[in-house]
Amino acid sequence: MKRLLGVALGILTAIGGFVDIGDLVTNAVVGSRFGLSLIWVVAVGVVGICVFANMSGRVAAASGRATFEVIRERLGPRAGLANLSASFLINLMTVTAEIGGIALALQLASSVNYLLWIPLAAVAVWLVIWRVKFSIMENVTGLLGLTLIVFAVALFLLKPDWGTLASQAIPAVPAEETGATYWYFAIALFGAAMTPYEVFFFSSGAVEEGWKIKDLIQSRINVLVGFPLGGLLSVAIAGCAAVVLLPAGISVTSLSQVILPVAEGAGKLGLAVVLLGIVAATFGAALETTLSSGYTLAQFFGWSWGKFRAPAKAARFHVSMIICLLVGIAVLATGVDPVLVTEYSVVFSAVALPLTYLPILIVANDPQYMGKHVNGRGVNVVAMVYLVVILVASLAAIPLMIVTGAGA
Amino acid sequence: MKTPRPPGSDPLAPIPPVAGQTLDAQLHLLDRQVLDSDGVPVTTVDDLELGAPEGEPETPIETVIPTGTPAPVLRALLTGPVLGTRIFGGRPPSSRLIRIPWADVASVGVVVRLGVSGQGLDADWVERWIRDKIIARIPGGRRDPR
Repeated sequence: MKRLLGVALGILTAIGGFVDIGDLVTNAVVGSRFGLSLIWVVAVGVVGICVFANMSGRVAAASGRATFEVIRERLGPRAGLANLSASFLINLMTVTAEIGGIALALQLASSVNYLLWIPLAAVAVWLVIWRVKFSIMENVTGLLGLTLIVFAVALFLLKPDWGTLASQAIPAVPAEETGATYWYFAIALFGAAMTPYEVFFFSSGAVEEGWKIKDLIQSRINVLVGFPLGGLLSVAIAGCAAVVLLPAGISVTSLSQVILPVAEGAGKLGLAVVLLGIVAATFGAALETTLSSGYTLAQFFGWSWGKFRAPAKAARFHVSMIICLLVGIAVLATGVDPVLVTEYSVVFSAVALPLTYLPILIVANDPQYMGKHVNGRGVNVVAMVYLVVILVASLAAIPLMIVTGAGA
Repeated sequence: MKTPRPPGSDPLAPIPPVAGQTLDAQLHLLDRQVLDSDGVPVTTVDDLELGAPEGEPETPIETVIPTGTPAPVLRALLTGPVLGTRIFGGRPPSSRLIRIPWADVASVGVVVRLGVSGQGLDADWVERWIRDKIIARIPGGRRDPR
């Protein structure tokens, strides 16, 4: 019974933890402009993150090594440092976007300007990282994030014509959009679903929680059930936007437009629930990305790290996270639109994807690290196919960004 | 690339036979995580220091190595600013190197384990400084989360 409860809890937190500000904004933008015609990308992204999150968890459990230690060992200091610089900067951008997301959601709930919420949000994030136990942090934010199911509820309450909605789901470029913008947003959606920080966080979390090989079944269930259901949440967000915003000709540029369909479909109560969900989801993701920035730095340089240690026993790790949060506050204090930061962060995430996923794939095949737990042939075939997809998306992202004027 | 030997010089002394495991510096040592005797991460192996075996005279760098010079031995694991010079080129003066003596290494596997605690090592001074000056002064800094 207790084990069953553990499995259920793991799945629920995986669902609630899947959606972050990148998924929220990108899915709503895509839904409001392309209907459901890009929904296939979410499916592709979810399968990819399942494969690689699983792999990085297995590497961490079998060898006790987290992702960035492995990246440095395999790529050497020079390529490793280039990788660290890119991954770290993009991660910092995501931290900034998530904190901005918390502040925007709090603004919608309180009518107090989001700029005033930013320092509070950042301090709250730091306090949780400083004091709260890893597993409690994961479970609470994950479970509260589950309230985002209200997007799916709202979609039903909106009573759309399911036939037309389903017919939208066929991949096709809408008449009023160009092929370039279609593919640009395909890459953004892919980047949002597969954000590299999830892998840093997943593998470091495995070390934090002291996973052994026997715990892998549990984690595999979490990933293989939780992430696809989280992906369904993403689809519901896009669906809501496709039903309400697309016919009205509203293209999403702010968080209030993201939740507009929920207000229309599920009323005041729905609005209250969705705001709670967005705060929980962005707060959870802010914790994960902030920790990830500490993880990447500490693992590259070989510092002592981890929430399982007292802060004094992982001093550089904690100082670097404090600095990251301060940088995030400083960037947001300039008045830059957090939604815009989010839109760029998901595309740059797509650019950086191969940097994370290739080294993991190499190590997952290395018997010195993995013993008999090296990748099976099936996993390798899927992973290789994904590597090609990731590489194409990564190379095409910047040119498409320039050609489309960042999707304008 | 093979450079022709100057005429009249003899080949270097052959590698002496070694007992036990052979380590490839690039593959098994460089960029590996170093843990101390309590399993706490200390650093990553940023570079290695080679030198003449005990009792032998040091060969000055950037000179022709005379015939009959014994093979160098691994002196220490290096860390600190030496990572910068390893990436961008150059060589810090010997006095600036932060060393972990090879004698302190207990085992080499997926990680390099030391036989000593990291607390007293030079390699850990930045960590100790940040701990004592910043982290330990923030309330709750020494509280164990578990």
